[in-house]
Amino acid sequence: MKKLFSLLAACGLATSAHAADLTVYTYDSFVSEWGPGPQLEAAFEESCQCDLAFIAVDDGVSILNRLRIEKDKTKADVLLGLDDSLTEVTRRESLVQPHGIALNGLKAELQWQDQDFVPYDYGFFSFVYNTNKVKQPVTSLKALINSNAPVIYQDPRTSTPGQGLMLWVKAVYGDDSANAWKQLASHTVTVTKGWWEAYSMFLEGDADYVLSYNTSPAYHVVTEEKTQYKAAAFSEGHVAQIEVAAISKYAKNPELAKQFLNFLISPQAQSIIPTANWMLPVVDNIELPEVFDELIQPKRIGFTPKQIATQRKSWIREWRSTAN
Amino acid sequence: MRLYWLAYAAIFALTILSFYGLINFGDEGLDTSLLQDSYFYAILGFTLKQALLSALFSVGIAIPIARALYFLPALHFKKLFLTFCLLCFVTPTLIVITGLVALLGRSGLLTPPLNAALSSFTESTWNLYGLSGILIAHIFMNMPLAVRIIYLQLQTIPDNSWKLASQLKLSKGQCFRIVEWPVLKSSSVLLLCFIFVLCFNSFAVVLALGGGPQSTTLEVAIYQALKYDFNIPEALTLAWTQLIVAGGLYWLITRAGGVSWQSIESSQYNWRPNQSSSARFWFTSLYGFAWLVLLLPYLSLLPGLFDSDLSSKDLKAIGRSALISIGLAAIAACLAMTLAFALLRPVRQAALKAQSKRVWLYESLATHALVAPAMVLSVGLFVYLLPRIDLDRWGIIFVVLLNTALVIPFAVQKLKPRLLQFDQQYDRLARSLKLTQQVRWKIEWPFIKEIYLATMGLVLVLAMGDVAIFSIFGSTDWTTLPWLIYGYASSYRIAEASAASFLLLMLCALFLFFLEKLSSRSAVRKQPIESSQPYKGETHA
Repeated sequence: MKKLFSLLAACGLATSAHAADLTVYTYDSFVSEWGPGPQLEAAFEESCQCDLAFIAVDDGVSILNRLRIEKDKTKADVLLGLDDSLTEVTRRESLVQPHGIALNGLKAELQWQDQDFVPYDYGFFSFVYNTNKVKQPVTSLKALINSNAPVIYQDPRTSTPGQGLMLWVKAVYGDDSANAWKQLASHTVTVTKGWWEAYSMFLEGDADYVLSYNTSPAYHVVTEEKTQYKAAAFSEGHVAQIEVAAISKYAKNPELAKQFLNFLISPQAQSIIPTANWMLPVVDNIELPEVFDELIQPKRIGFTPKQIATQRKSWIREWRSTAN
Repeated sequence: MRLYWLAYAAIFALTILSFYGLINFGDEGLDTSLLQDSYFYAILGFTLKQALLSALFSVGIAIPIARALYFLPALHFKKLFLTFCLLCFVTPTLIVITGLVALLGRSGLLTPPLNAALSSFTESTWNLYGLSGILIAHIFMNMPLAVRIIYLQLQTIPDNSWKLASQLKLSKGQCFRIVEWPVLKSSSVLLLCFIFVLCFNSFAVVLALGGGPQSTTLEVAIYQALKYDFNIPEALTLAWTQLIVAGGLYWLITRAGGVSWQSIESSQYNWRPNQSSSARFWFTSLYGFAWLVLLLPYLSLLPGLFDSDLSSKDLKAIGRSALISIGLAAIAACLAMTLAFALLRPVRQAALKAQSKRVWLYESLATHALVAPAMVLSVGLFVYLLPRIDLDRWGIIFVVLLNTALVIPFAVQKLKPRLLQFDQQYDRLARSLKLTQQVRWKIEWPFIKEIYLATMGLVLVLAMGDVAIFSIFGSTDWTTLPWLIYGYASSYRIAEASAASFLLLMLCALFLFFLEKLSSRSAVRKQPIESSQPYKGETHA
């Protein structure tokens, strides 16, 4: 095997193999050609005069799992792409270290005080509809659940929006959630594994509402010049997903890692992220395409990362036994 | 030690390392509390139910279609149809799902007429999602394979049987029972098992078309336990359950039934009983109908294709990942064919000595990856390797190796009958002539070439559709076409995704048609006399 390896290496098969000054673990779509990764990399490398390398895994959860397996052998200096529902678990397994960055420049709405994690974008889970099809959209989660409009959402066991809906239902219905799930199931078209299966079925016209983000309409306007897709604003408020970055406990260069985290919340990075990752900036006064001003700006409800970490399992159990 | 034992060692090393990786990492053993959870039995029950129904329907529908092909040798485009059947089997699931939703979803092309038809005798409207959707997708992918295999099996009915049947003036029913059924029985049972196992392990189809948590299979539960809860004891418990139930059933039935893919007779028969004009009519309509049903989901993809407006950057990305996909799949296919060949050595030796138990044992060992949960294999190996090897650099090698491991069972099963047939016909002669290995190979290769190439096409295309393994071991430097499709789709770019899907489908089709063509041409060249028969030169499944 060793021979094979050195042979392949000799053939120049291995690319990006050299050790970079700063290694960032993130998820695939972040570093894809159309994602924010390449632009951020170029901008940061220019300012730090260093070499940054992304290592991309499947998704946010996979970043955490990989760290769990690697422990102190990890190459990661920075973890980029966990979300607020994962911060508590990551902390408990002591995989991160305090960032020491003052966070008072962040939007007040985020109420972000965490000493280990720095948010870099966020969005509100929302139901998206097509205005050509739905003339009078529902105005609350309760109204949606009590309606008989066909709905597609994602499995809370396998997808973050799905988990977001679970938290949303829990926040609005509390102990009555089981009934809400039953009610919703009566007009659910299907529950998909991930976001895009649901979203593409919705675009095919298979449902009136699909669970997505309040920022989804911005994509359709900016990239496709289609204005018919809108997110429905719900009077109870919406659950947010906050994407965060942190310094690995085993970072080889924590100072540079801190510099990168600082860069992430700088105006320069913050104006790159929204139109590449289709989420909202975490600081105010960022210049964005007009459509971002027209997005719904819901009230934020939900749970703390601690509550989520302790309750998630029992909530999932409730969902899977009642959402039939 | 013989070289071929290395092949056994290699494929087992992969499986054992995977399980070792998980067991060792979790350090906690199994989670037996799961066995008291009603949820566990609900998903086990559902997994069994949908797999059983999928298998029964697939084989049940395939038999009449295969008979139509058999009784009307002069049907148009029959060869194309048979290759097309193979394409349905290997089409990446994400394309099948998109096609079915475009066709039968709530805004599907066929949904209004279906609803109109339904409304005449029931209140409810057509709904793709749920058990019906899962079954339709599973049948769409597996029934065509069954058609191919049953059709080839029917061709082994000797002329004399039919002549005798007509002399005895047997009725149609009697003919089926006495002449056809004995030939069909063992391949049908085997097909049932095979399709059952494939559907038992089904994942993407179940999640996309299942309609809710009531449609959960073990594979889905394993995915959740491993990925989202990182609960290794639970994942292992589920994995063992799956291995024991799917593997146990498969092996029990193949063992107890004493069935195997029958070896293909070298002489094919061309005498068919005369069909009445009404039978002709029905068979022809059935054939036409089958074409229509199999083509429709593909055709329904076309309208979406014209929406896409690809930039040159996209074209470059798509072209690049298409080349990577082809390259990786070709390496995996070559490896798989070589390993399958080696794995079959002991099987052939045992078969020559008529040791049926050994044949079964070796074959089961060689094809064990068919029933092992793919998710556990890849994650287990990942857990094992990650602290030991720089996977960001070498991960792509394991993408190839794991894909190889997963397609080996298909290669073994397709190659086996032909090799056994060769041994039956030439082994004794070769021994008595004291032929050297080299000379023996010179005789063997032309004999198996046809099937070898066709099988290679099959495993190549199967490996080309992989996303599950790539999602764990792959890196962005090596983005494959299916992975690119997911990448597009997960960033709103559905039109680009459908264009890339179409290219993937075209590539799959191209490889299948090309390799089948190549193999049937070589068959014609080698056996000029037989090829004069109108339906000779058909490749074997």
